[in-house]
Amino acid sequence: MKGLENKLSGVFLDSLVRGVTGISPDVLNLMKGALQQEESPPAKAMLEAMLKNVELAQKLKKGVCQSPGIPCLYVRCSPEMTGMDIRRIAGESILRATQEGYLRPSIVHPLTRKNTGDNSGPGIPNIEMEVDPALDYLELIVSFKGCGPELFNAFKTFTPESLGENLEGLKRFVLETVIHAGGKPCPPIGLGIGIGGQMDGAAKLSRKAISQRKWDDQNPDPQLNHLEQGLLEKINQLGIGPGGVGGKTTALAVKIDMAYTHTAICPVAVNFHCWVARRFGFRFYSDGRTEEVL
Amino acid sequence: MKNPVHLSTPLDGDSIGKLKIHDVVTLSGTVFTARDMAHLKLKELYRKGAPLPEIFTGGVIFHAGPVVKRANGGFRVLTIGPTTSIRMEPHSDFIGAIGIRAIVGKGGMDEESLRAFKKYGMVYLLAAPGCGVLHAQAVREVKRVYWLEEFGMPEAIWVLEVADWGPLTVAMDSHGNSIFQAIQEEGLRKLDGLVKG
Repeated sequence: MKGLENKLSGVFLDSLVRGVTGISPDVLNLMKGALQQEESPPAKAMLEAMLKNVELAQKLKKGVCQSPGIPCLYVRCSPEMTGMDIRRIAGESILRATQEGYLRPSIVHPLTRKNTGDNSGPGIPNIEMEVDPALDYLELIVSFKGCGPELFNAFKTFTPESLGENLEGLKRFVLETVIHAGGKPCPPIGLGIGIGGQMDGAAKLSRKAISQRKWDDQNPDPQLNHLEQGLLEKINQLGIGPGGVGGKTTALAVKIDMAYTHTAICPVAVNFHCWVARRFGFRFYSDGRTEEVL
Repeated sequence: MKNPVHLSTPLDGDSIGKLKIHDVVTLSGTVFTARDMAHLKLKELYRKGAPLPEIFTGGVIFHAGPVVKRANGGFRVLTIGPTTSIRMEPHSDFIGAIGIRAIVGKGGMDEESLRAFKKYGMVYLLAAPGCGVLHAQAVREVKRVYWLEEFGMPEAIWVLEVADWGPLTVAMDSHGNSIFQAIQEEGLRKLDGLVKG
Protein backbone atom coordinates (compact mmCIF):
# COMPACT_ATOMS: atom_id res chain seq x y z
CA MET A 1 0.00 0.00 0.00
CA LYS A 2 2.90 2.42 0.79
CA GLY A 3 4.26 2.19 -2.77
CA LEU A 4 0.84 2.94 -4.19
CA GLU A 5 0.41 5.87 -1.82
CA ASN A 6 3.71 7.39 -3.01
CA LYS A 7 2.63 7.07 -6.63
CA LEU A 8 -0.71 8.64 -5.82
CA SER A 9 1.04 11.56 -4.08
CA GLY A 10 3.01 12.37 -7.21
CA VAL A 11 0.00 12.21 -9.50
CA PHE A 12 -2.11 14.23 -7.08
CA LEU A 13 0.07 17.34 -6.86
CA ASP A 14 0.64 17.54 -10.63
CA SER A 15 -3.07 17.13 -11.32
CA LEU A 16 -3.99 19.69 -8.67
CA VAL A 17 -1.75 22.35 -10.20
CA ARG A 18 -3.13 21.58 -13.67
CA GLY A 19 -6.66 21.61 -12.24
CA VAL A 20 -6.51 25.05 -10.60
CA THR A 21 -4.62 26.81 -13.41
CA GLY A 22 -7.43 26.13 -15.88
CA ILE A 23 -11.10 25.23 -15.96
CA SER A 24 -12.63 21.91 -16.92
CA PRO A 25 -12.70 21.49 -20.76
CA ASP A 26 -16.46 20.81 -20.80
CA VAL A 27 -17.11 24.09 -18.97
CA LEU A 28 -14.66 26.00 -21.16
CA ASN A 29 -16.56 24.81 -24.26
CA LEU A 30 -19.88 25.87 -22.75
CA MET A 31 -18.41 29.32 -21.98
CA LYS A 32 -17.21 29.69 -25.57
CA GLY A 33 -20.64 28.61 -26.82
CA ALA A 34 -22.29 31.16 -24.53
CA LEU A 35 -20.15 33.94 -26.02
CA GLN A 36 -21.49 33.03 -29.49
CA GLN A 37 -25.07 33.20 -28.17
CA GLU A 38 -24.90 36.47 -26.28
CA GLU A 39 -25.99 39.64 -28.04
CA SER A 40 -25.72 42.39 -25.43
CA PRO A 41 -22.31 44.11 -25.36
CA PRO A 42 -21.91 44.06 -21.52
CA ALA A 43 -22.64 40.32 -21.39
CA LYS A 44 -20.21 39.65 -24.23
CA ALA A 45 -17.53 41.81 -22.58
CA MET A 46 -17.96 39.89 -19.33
CA LEU A 47 -17.59 36.49 -21.01
CA GLU A 48 -14.61 37.74 -23.01
CA ALA A 49 -12.90 38.89 -19.80
CA MET A 50 -13.53 35.48 -18.22
CA LEU A 51 -12.14 33.58 -21.21
CA LYS A 52 -9.13 35.90 -21.40
CA ASN A 53 -8.53 35.27 -17.70
CA VAL A 54 -8.45 31.49 -18.28
CA GLU A 55 -5.97 31.94 -21.13
CA LEU A 56 -3.74 34.17 -19.00
CA ALA A 57 -3.87 31.75 -16.07
CA GLN A 58 -2.69 28.90 -18.27
CA LYS A 59 0.01 31.01 -19.90
CA LEU A 60 1.34 32.41 -16.61
CA LYS A 61 0.72 29.19 -14.63
CA LYS A 62 -1.38 30.95 -12.00
CA GLY A 63 -4.59 29.96 -10.26
CA VAL A 64 -7.55 30.99 -12.45
CA CYS A 65 -9.34 32.47 -9.45
CA GLN A 66 -7.88 33.61 -6.12
CA SER A 67 -10.61 31.76 -4.23
CA PRO A 68 -10.13 27.99 -3.96
CA GLY A 69 -13.17 27.47 -1.72
CA ILE A 70 -13.14 24.33 0.38
CA PRO A 71 -11.46 21.54 -1.61
CA CYS A 72 -13.80 18.56 -2.04
CA LEU A 73 -12.75 15.02 -2.87
CA TYR A 74 -15.13 12.40 -4.20
CA VAL A 75 -13.63 8.95 -3.84
CA ARG A 76 -14.99 5.65 -5.14
CA CYS A 77 -12.87 2.61 -4.60
CA SER A 78 -12.64 -1.15 -4.38
CA PRO A 79 -12.68 -2.61 -0.84
CA GLU A 80 -8.98 -3.55 -1.21
CA MET A 81 -7.95 0.07 -1.68
CA THR A 82 -9.74 1.61 1.30
CA GLY A 83 -6.51 1.48 3.32
CA MET A 84 -4.89 4.28 1.34
CA ASP A 85 -4.46 7.42 3.40
CA ILE A 86 -6.21 9.80 1.01
CA ARG A 87 -6.59 12.51 3.65
CA ARG A 88 -2.84 12.68 4.23
CA ILE A 89 -1.97 12.57 0.52
CA ALA A 90 -4.51 15.24 -0.39
CA GLY A 91 -3.54 17.38 2.61
CA GLU A 92 0.15 17.31 1.65
CA SER A 93 -0.56 18.30 -1.95
CA ILE A 94 -2.90 21.09 -0.88
CA LEU A 95 -0.22 22.37 1.52
CA ARG A 96 2.42 22.42 -1.25
CA ALA A 97 0.06 24.12 -3.69
CA THR A 98 -0.73 26.72 -1.03
CA GLN A 99 2.96 27.38 -0.32
CA GLU A 100 3.59 27.79 -4.05
CA GLY A 101 0.78 30.34 -4.43
CA TYR A 102 -1.65 28.22 -6.47
CA LEU A 103 -4.17 28.22 -3.61
CA ARG A 104 -4.91 31.05 -1.19
CA PRO A 105 -4.89 30.02 2.47
CA SER A 106 -8.61 30.44 3.08
CA ILE A 107 -9.49 28.02 5.87
CA VAL A 108 -10.42 29.37 9.30
CA HIS A 109 -11.87 28.20 12.61
CA PRO A 110 -15.62 28.72 12.14
CA LEU A 111 -16.09 30.69 15.37
CA THR A 112 -12.78 32.37 16.22
CA ARG A 113 -12.17 33.02 12.47
CA LYS A 114 -8.45 32.30 12.97
CA ASN A 115 -6.86 31.37 9.63
CA THR A 116 -4.74 28.20 9.78
CA GLY A 117 -2.48 29.71 7.11
CA ASP A 118 -2.10 26.53 5.08
CA ASN A 119 -5.60 25.38 4.08
CA SER A 120 -5.57 22.65 6.71
CA GLY A 121 -7.97 22.02 9.57
CA PRO A 122 -10.39 19.45 10.91
CA GLY A 123 -12.75 18.32 8.13
CA ILE A 124 -10.56 19.91 5.41
CA PRO A 125 -10.49 18.80 2.66
CA ASN A 126 -14.07 17.61 2.49
CA ILE A 127 -13.87 13.92 1.53
CA GLU A 128 -16.79 11.76 0.47
CA MET A 129 -15.90 8.12 0.15
CA GLU A 130 -17.87 5.30 -1.37
CA VAL A 131 -16.68 1.68 -1.35
CA ASP A 132 -17.88 -0.40 -4.29
CA PRO A 133 -16.96 -4.10 -4.60
CA ALA A 134 -17.60 -3.92 -8.37
CA LEU A 135 -14.59 -1.63 -8.89
CA ASP A 136 -10.95 -2.64 -9.35
CA TYR A 137 -9.62 0.88 -8.97
CA LEU A 138 -9.74 3.99 -6.86
CA GLU A 139 -11.44 6.92 -8.56
CA LEU A 140 -10.74 10.35 -7.26
CA ILE A 141 -12.50 13.52 -8.37
CA VAL A 142 -11.27 16.74 -6.82
CA SER A 143 -13.27 19.93 -7.09
CA PHE A 144 -12.47 23.53 -6.18
CA LYS A 145 -15.35 25.96 -6.29
CA GLY A 146 -15.41 29.46 -4.92
CA CYS A 147 -17.22 29.89 -1.59
CA GLY A 148 -19.14 33.10 -2.41
CA PRO A 149 -21.80 31.05 -4.18
CA GLU A 150 -22.28 29.01 -0.98
CA LEU A 151 -23.99 32.06 0.56
CA PHE A 152 -27.00 31.42 -1.66
CA ASN A 153 -27.40 27.66 -1.30
CA ALA A 154 -30.89 26.76 -0.17
CA PHE A 155 -32.79 23.86 1.29
CA LYS A 156 -36.46 23.06 1.62
CA THR A 157 -38.35 19.99 2.73
CA PHE A 158 -41.34 19.57 0.46
CA THR A 159 -44.43 17.45 1.11
CA PRO A 160 -46.32 15.51 -1.57
CA GLU A 161 -48.71 18.47 -1.69
CA SER A 162 -46.13 21.28 -1.83
CA LEU A 163 -44.12 19.58 -4.62
CA GLY A 164 -47.07 20.67 -6.71
CA GLU A 165 -48.67 19.60 -9.95
CA ASN A 166 -45.96 19.12 -12.61
CA LEU A 167 -43.46 19.79 -9.81
CA GLU A 168 -44.40 23.46 -9.93
CA GLY A 169 -43.59 23.89 -6.23
CA LEU A 170 -40.09 22.56 -6.75
CA LYS A 171 -39.55 24.64 -9.90
CA ARG A 172 -40.70 27.81 -8.12
CA PHE A 173 -38.29 27.14 -5.24
CA VAL A 174 -35.34 26.69 -7.62
CA LEU A 175 -36.16 29.74 -9.76
CA GLU A 176 -36.77 31.98 -6.72
CA THR A 177 -33.46 30.86 -5.25
CA VAL A 178 -31.68 31.76 -8.50
CA ILE A 179 -33.43 35.15 -8.81
CA HIS A 180 -32.47 36.14 -5.26
CA ALA A 181 -28.87 35.04 -5.79
CA GLY A 182 -28.78 37.21 -8.95
CA GLY A 183 -25.27 38.11 -10.02
CA LYS A 184 -23.73 37.19 -6.68
CA PRO A 185 -22.68 33.52 -7.20
CA CYS A 186 -20.35 34.39 -10.14
CA PRO A 187 -22.64 33.57 -13.07
CA PRO A 188 -22.72 31.88 -15.49
CA ILE A 189 -23.40 29.35 -12.76
CA GLY A 190 -23.69 25.62 -12.57
CA LEU A 191 -26.60 24.59 -10.40
CA GLY A 192 -26.59 21.34 -8.45
CA ILE A 193 -29.88 20.02 -7.13
CA GLY A 194 -30.14 17.16 -4.66
CA ILE A 195 -33.52 15.50 -4.27
CA GLY A 196 -34.47 12.91 -1.66
CA GLY A 197 -32.91 11.34 1.41
CA GLN A 198 -33.01 13.62 4.45
CA MET A 199 -31.54 17.12 4.84
CA ASP A 200 -27.92 15.95 4.86
CA GLY A 201 -28.45 13.51 2.00
CA ALA A 202 -30.08 16.06 -0.31
CA ALA A 203 -27.36 18.63 0.51
CA LYS A 204 -24.55 16.20 -0.30
CA LEU A 205 -26.22 15.12 -3.53
CA SER A 206 -26.65 18.75 -4.61
CA ARG A 207 -22.93 19.43 -4.22
CA LYS A 208 -21.87 16.18 -5.77
CA ALA A 209 -24.12 16.56 -8.84
CA ILE A 210 -22.54 19.87 -9.90
CA SER A 211 -18.99 19.16 -8.71
CA GLN A 212 -18.22 15.85 -10.31
CA ARG A 213 -20.39 15.51 -13.40
CA LYS A 214 -19.38 16.97 -16.74
CA TRP A 215 -21.55 20.02 -17.33
CA ASP A 216 -22.37 18.98 -20.90
CA ASP A 217 -23.44 15.41 -20.10
CA GLN A 218 -26.95 13.95 -20.09
CA ASN A 219 -28.62 12.52 -17.01
CA PRO A 220 -29.21 8.78 -17.60
CA ASP A 221 -32.57 9.08 -15.79
CA PRO A 222 -35.01 10.44 -18.45
CA GLN A 223 -37.23 12.22 -15.91
CA LEU A 224 -34.29 13.97 -14.25
CA ASN A 225 -32.76 14.79 -17.63
CA HIS A 226 -36.00 16.44 -18.69
CA LEU A 227 -36.14 18.41 -15.43
CA GLU A 228 -32.49 19.50 -15.82
CA GLN A 229 -33.04 20.75 -19.38
CA GLY A 230 -36.32 22.47 -18.48
CA LEU A 231 -34.88 24.28 -15.48
CA LEU A 232 -31.76 25.33 -17.43
CA GLU A 233 -33.92 26.86 -20.13
CA LYS A 234 -36.10 28.70 -17.59
CA ILE A 235 -33.11 29.99 -15.59
CA ASN A 236 -31.62 31.39 -18.78
CA GLN A 237 -34.81 33.34 -19.41
CA LEU A 238 -34.40 35.21 -16.11
CA GLY A 239 -31.96 37.67 -17.70
CA ILE A 240 -29.35 37.73 -14.91
CA GLY A 241 -26.48 37.15 -17.33
CA PRO A 242 -22.70 36.77 -16.92
CA GLY A 243 -21.47 38.54 -13.79
CA GLY A 244 -25.06 39.74 -13.26
CA VAL A 245 -24.89 42.43 -15.97
CA GLY A 246 -27.91 41.00 -17.81
CA GLY A 247 -27.95 38.56 -20.71
CA LYS A 248 -28.93 35.13 -21.90
CA THR A 249 -26.29 33.15 -20.04
CA THR A 250 -27.18 32.86 -16.36
CA ALA A 251 -26.47 29.14 -16.06
CA LEU A 252 -24.30 26.78 -18.07
CA ALA A 253 -25.71 23.63 -16.49
CA VAL A 254 -28.27 22.22 -14.08
CA LYS A 255 -27.37 18.81 -12.64
CA ILE A 256 -29.69 16.76 -10.46
CA ASP A 257 -28.88 13.77 -8.32
CA MET A 258 -31.50 11.76 -6.49
CA ALA A 259 -31.95 9.29 -3.65
CA TYR A 260 -35.15 7.66 -2.48
CA THR A 261 -36.79 9.27 0.52
CA HIS A 262 -39.51 8.72 3.13
CA THR A 263 -43.18 8.68 2.15
CA ALA A 264 -43.85 11.86 4.17
CA ILE A 265 -41.20 14.18 2.66
CA CYS A 266 -39.21 15.34 -0.34
CA PRO A 267 -36.04 17.22 0.70
CA VAL A 268 -34.58 19.46 -2.02
CA ALA A 269 -31.20 21.21 -1.83
CA VAL A 270 -29.87 23.75 -4.30
CA ASN A 271 -26.11 24.26 -4.63
CA PHE A 272 -24.49 27.07 -6.62
CA HIS A 273 -21.22 26.62 -8.51
CA CYS A 274 -19.33 29.60 -9.95
CA TRP A 275 -18.26 29.52 -13.62
CA VAL A 276 -14.68 28.76 -12.51
CA ALA A 277 -15.04 24.97 -12.46
CA ARG A 278 -11.60 23.78 -11.39
CA ARG A 279 -11.63 20.00 -11.28
CA PHE A 280 -9.53 17.00 -11.98
CA GLY A 281 -10.07 13.31 -11.68
CA PHE A 282 -8.31 10.08 -12.25
CA ARG A 283 -8.60 6.37 -11.75
CA PHE A 284 -5.77 4.70 -10.02
CA TYR A 285 -5.41 0.94 -10.50
CA SER A 286 -3.74 -1.38 -8.03
CA ASP A 287 -0.95 -2.09 -10.58
CA GLY A 288 -0.09 1.63 -10.55
CA ARG A 289 -1.69 2.56 -13.89
CA THR A 290 -3.54 5.89 -13.86
CA GLU A 291 -6.23 7.13 -16.17
CA GLU A 292 -7.72 10.62 -16.34
CA VAL A 293 -11.48 10.77 -16.01
CA LEU A 294 -12.30 14.49 -16.05
CA MET B 1 -19.59 49.09 -24.63
CA LYS B 2 -19.20 52.76 -23.85
CA ASN B 3 -15.78 54.42 -23.86
CA PRO B 4 -14.27 54.13 -20.41
CA VAL B 5 -14.08 57.15 -18.09
CA HIS B 6 -10.74 57.28 -16.34
CA LEU B 7 -10.74 57.78 -12.57
CA SER B 8 -7.78 58.52 -10.29
CA THR B 9 -7.63 58.47 -6.51
CA PRO B 10 -8.41 60.43 -4.43
CA LEU B 11 -11.86 60.47 -6.04
CA ASP B 12 -13.74 63.75 -6.03
CA GLY B 13 -17.48 64.24 -5.63
CA ASP B 14 -17.88 65.76 -9.08
CA SER B 15 -16.55 62.84 -11.09
CA ILE B 16 -18.49 60.33 -8.98
CA GLY B 17 -21.71 62.33 -9.32
CA LYS B 18 -21.43 62.27 -13.12
CA LEU B 19 -21.29 58.49 -13.27
CA LYS B 20 -24.46 56.58 -14.19
CA ILE B 21 -25.17 52.87 -14.20
CA HIS B 22 -23.82 51.08 -17.30
CA ASP B 23 -20.93 53.55 -17.59
CA VAL B 24 -17.54 51.91 -17.83
CA VAL B 25 -14.47 53.16 -15.97
CA THR B 26 -10.79 52.44 -15.54
CA LEU B 27 -9.09 53.28 -12.30
CA SER B 28 -5.59 54.34 -11.24
CA GLY B 29 -4.21 55.07 -7.80
CA THR B 30 -4.52 53.52 -4.36
CA VAL B 31 -7.09 50.89 -3.42
CA PHE B 32 -7.66 49.19 -0.06
CA THR B 33 -8.76 45.56 0.03
CA ALA B 34 -11.28 44.90 2.77
CA ARG B 35 -13.57 41.99 3.52
CA ASP B 36 -15.73 41.05 6.51
CA MET B 37 -13.08 41.11 9.24
CA ALA B 38 -11.42 44.36 8.16
CA HIS B 39 -14.80 46.13 8.05
CA LEU B 40 -15.69 44.85 11.52
CA LYS B 41 -12.39 45.97 12.97
CA LEU B 42 -12.44 49.39 11.29
CA LYS B 43 -15.95 49.92 12.61
CA GLU B 44 -14.90 48.92 16.11
CA LEU B 45 -11.94 51.34 16.08
CA TYR B 46 -14.16 54.13 14.75
CA ARG B 47 -16.80 53.49 17.41
CA LYS B 48 -14.17 53.73 20.15
CA GLY B 49 -12.76 56.91 18.64
CA ALA B 50 -9.40 55.17 18.05
CA PRO B 51 -7.30 56.18 15.02
CA LEU B 52 -7.85 54.25 11.78
CA PRO B 53 -4.76 52.84 10.05
CA GLU B 54 -5.23 55.04 6.95
CA ILE B 55 -6.99 58.20 5.79
CA PHE B 56 -9.78 56.95 3.57
CA THR B 57 -10.97 60.28 2.14
CA GLY B 58 -11.74 59.87 -1.56
CA GLY B 59 -10.65 56.25 -1.26
CA VAL B 60 -11.57 53.01 -2.98
CA ILE B 61 -12.37 49.75 -1.20
CA PHE B 62 -11.88 46.56 -3.16
CA HIS B 63 -13.89 43.64 -1.80
CA ALA B 64 -11.13 41.10 -2.34
CA GLY B 65 -8.65 38.76 -0.73
CA PRO B 66 -5.53 38.30 -2.86
CA VAL B 67 -2.99 35.53 -3.17
CA VAL B 68 0.22 37.25 -2.14
CA LYS B 69 3.81 36.04 -2.16
CA ARG B 70 6.68 37.48 -0.16
CA ALA B 71 9.34 38.76 -2.58
CA ASN B 72 12.48 40.89 -2.07
CA GLY B 73 11.52 41.96 1.42
CA GLY B 74 8.07 43.04 0.22
CA PHE B 75 4.99 41.44 -1.27
CA ARG B 76 3.81 40.58 -4.76
CA VAL B 77 0.18 39.94 -5.72
CA LEU B 78 -0.15 36.71 -7.72
CA THR B 79 -3.92 36.76 -8.15
CA ILE B 80 -6.69 39.03 -6.94
CA GLY B 81 -10.37 39.21 -7.82
CA PRO B 82 -13.61 40.45 -6.33
CA THR B 83 -15.38 38.66 -3.49
CA THR B 84 -19.17 38.63 -2.91
CA SER B 85 -19.98 42.20 -1.92
CA ILE B 86 -23.36 41.59 -0.31
CA ARG B 87 -21.61 40.38 2.86
CA MET B 88 -20.43 43.95 3.42
CA GLU B 89 -23.94 45.40 3.02
CA PRO B 90 -24.26 46.33 6.73
CA HIS B 91 -21.12 48.51 6.52
CA SER B 92 -22.00 50.84 3.62
CA ASP B 93 -23.02 53.82 5.71
CA PHE B 94 -19.92 53.47 7.86
CA ILE B 95 -17.48 53.37 4.96
CA GLY B 96 -19.24 56.37 3.42
CA ALA B 97 -18.77 58.22 6.71
CA ILE B 98 -15.01 57.57 6.71
CA GLY B 99 -14.67 58.95 3.19
CA ILE B 100 -14.74 55.97 0.82
CA ARG B 101 -16.20 57.01 -2.53
CA ALA B 102 -16.10 53.79 -4.58
CA ILE B 103 -16.44 50.09 -3.91
CA VAL B 104 -15.14 47.51 -6.36
CA GLY B 105 -16.67 44.07 -6.00
CA LYS B 106 -18.92 41.48 -7.56
CA GLY B 107 -22.58 40.57 -7.40
CA GLY B 108 -23.73 43.98 -6.19
CA MET B 109 -25.22 45.32 -2.98
CA ASP B 110 -28.66 46.24 -1.71
CA GLU B 111 -30.97 49.01 -0.43
CA GLU B 112 -28.83 50.14 2.51
CA SER B 113 -25.90 50.64 0.16
CA LEU B 114 -27.98 52.55 -2.39
CA ARG B 115 -29.02 54.92 0.41
CA ALA B 116 -25.41 55.38 1.53
CA PHE B 117 -24.27 55.91 -2.07
CA LYS B 118 -26.79 58.72 -2.45
CA LYS B 119 -26.02 60.24 0.96
CA TYR B 120 -22.23 60.35 0.53
CA GLY B 121 -21.86 60.34 -3.27
CA MET B 122 -20.47 56.86 -3.89
CA VAL B 123 -20.52 54.27 -6.67
CA TYR B 124 -20.30 50.51 -6.92
CA LEU B 125 -17.97 49.25 -9.63
CA LEU B 126 -18.42 45.69 -10.86
CA ALA B 127 -15.22 43.76 -11.58
CA ALA B 128 -15.43 40.60 -13.70
CA PRO B 129 -15.87 37.73 -11.20
CA GLY B 130 -13.50 34.77 -11.13
CA CYS B 131 -10.80 36.71 -12.99
CA GLY B 132 -7.96 36.66 -10.48
CA VAL B 133 -5.17 36.75 -13.04
CA LEU B 134 -6.68 39.50 -15.17
CA HIS B 135 -7.19 41.90 -12.25
CA ALA B 136 -3.74 41.17 -10.82
CA GLN B 137 -2.22 42.58 -14.00
CA ALA B 138 -3.36 46.07 -12.98
CA VAL B 139 -1.60 45.89 -9.59
CA ARG B 140 1.70 47.76 -9.76
CA GLU B 141 2.73 47.60 -6.13
CA VAL B 142 1.80 46.36 -2.68
CA LYS B 143 2.35 49.48 -0.60
CA ARG B 144 1.42 48.28 2.89
CA VAL B 145 -0.58 45.66 4.71
CA TYR B 146 -2.54 45.81 7.97
CA TRP B 147 -3.65 42.99 10.26
CA LEU B 148 -1.99 40.21 8.24
CA GLU B 149 -0.98 38.20 11.29
CA GLU B 150 -4.27 38.72 13.06
CA PHE B 151 -6.66 37.92 10.20
CA GLY B 152 -4.60 35.99 7.65
CA MET B 153 -4.00 36.68 3.97
CA PRO B 154 -7.56 37.07 2.62
CA GLU B 155 -8.94 39.27 5.40
CA ALA B 156 -6.01 41.67 5.86
CA ILE B 157 -6.16 45.19 4.45
CA TRP B 158 -3.77 45.29 1.48
CA VAL B 159 -2.95 48.77 0.24
CA LEU B 160 -2.37 48.44 -3.48
CA GLU B 161 -1.26 50.78 -6.24
CA VAL B 162 -3.18 50.04 -9.45
CA ALA B 163 -2.82 51.49 -12.93
CA ASP B 164 -5.49 51.63 -15.66
CA TRP B 165 -7.48 48.95 -13.93
CA GLY B 166 -10.56 47.90 -15.81
CA PRO B 167 -12.90 47.98 -17.56
CA LEU B 168 -15.07 48.17 -14.44
CA THR B 169 -18.81 48.68 -14.84
CA VAL B 170 -20.73 51.27 -12.82
CA ALA B 171 -23.40 48.90 -11.50
CA MET B 172 -24.82 51.14 -8.74
CA ASP B 173 -24.60 54.93 -8.90
CA SER B 174 -25.01 57.84 -6.49
CA HIS B 175 -28.51 58.63 -7.83
CA GLY B 176 -30.30 55.56 -6.48
CA ASN B 177 -29.91 53.31 -9.54
CA SER B 178 -28.77 49.69 -9.54
CA ILE B 179 -28.54 47.36 -12.54
CA PHE B 180 -28.95 44.43 -10.15
CA GLN B 181 -32.22 45.70 -8.72
CA ALA B 182 -33.70 46.22 -12.18
CA ILE B 183 -32.66 42.72 -13.29
CA GLN B 184 -34.06 41.12 -10.13
CA GLU B 185 -37.40 42.87 -10.56
CA GLU B 186 -37.54 41.64 -14.15
CA GLY B 187 -36.85 38.06 -12.98
CA LEU B 188 -39.60 38.22 -10.37
CA ARG B 189 -42.04 39.49 -13.00
CA LYS B 190 -41.28 36.47 -15.18
CA LEU B 191 -41.43 33.95 -12.32
CA ASP B 192 -45.10 32.90 -12.45
CA GLY B 193 -45.04 32.41 -16.20
CA LEU B 194 -41.88 30.33 -16.07
CA VAL B 195 -43.18 28.09 -13.25
CA LYS B 196 -46.39 27.34 -15.19
CA GLY B 197 -44.70 27.05 -18.60
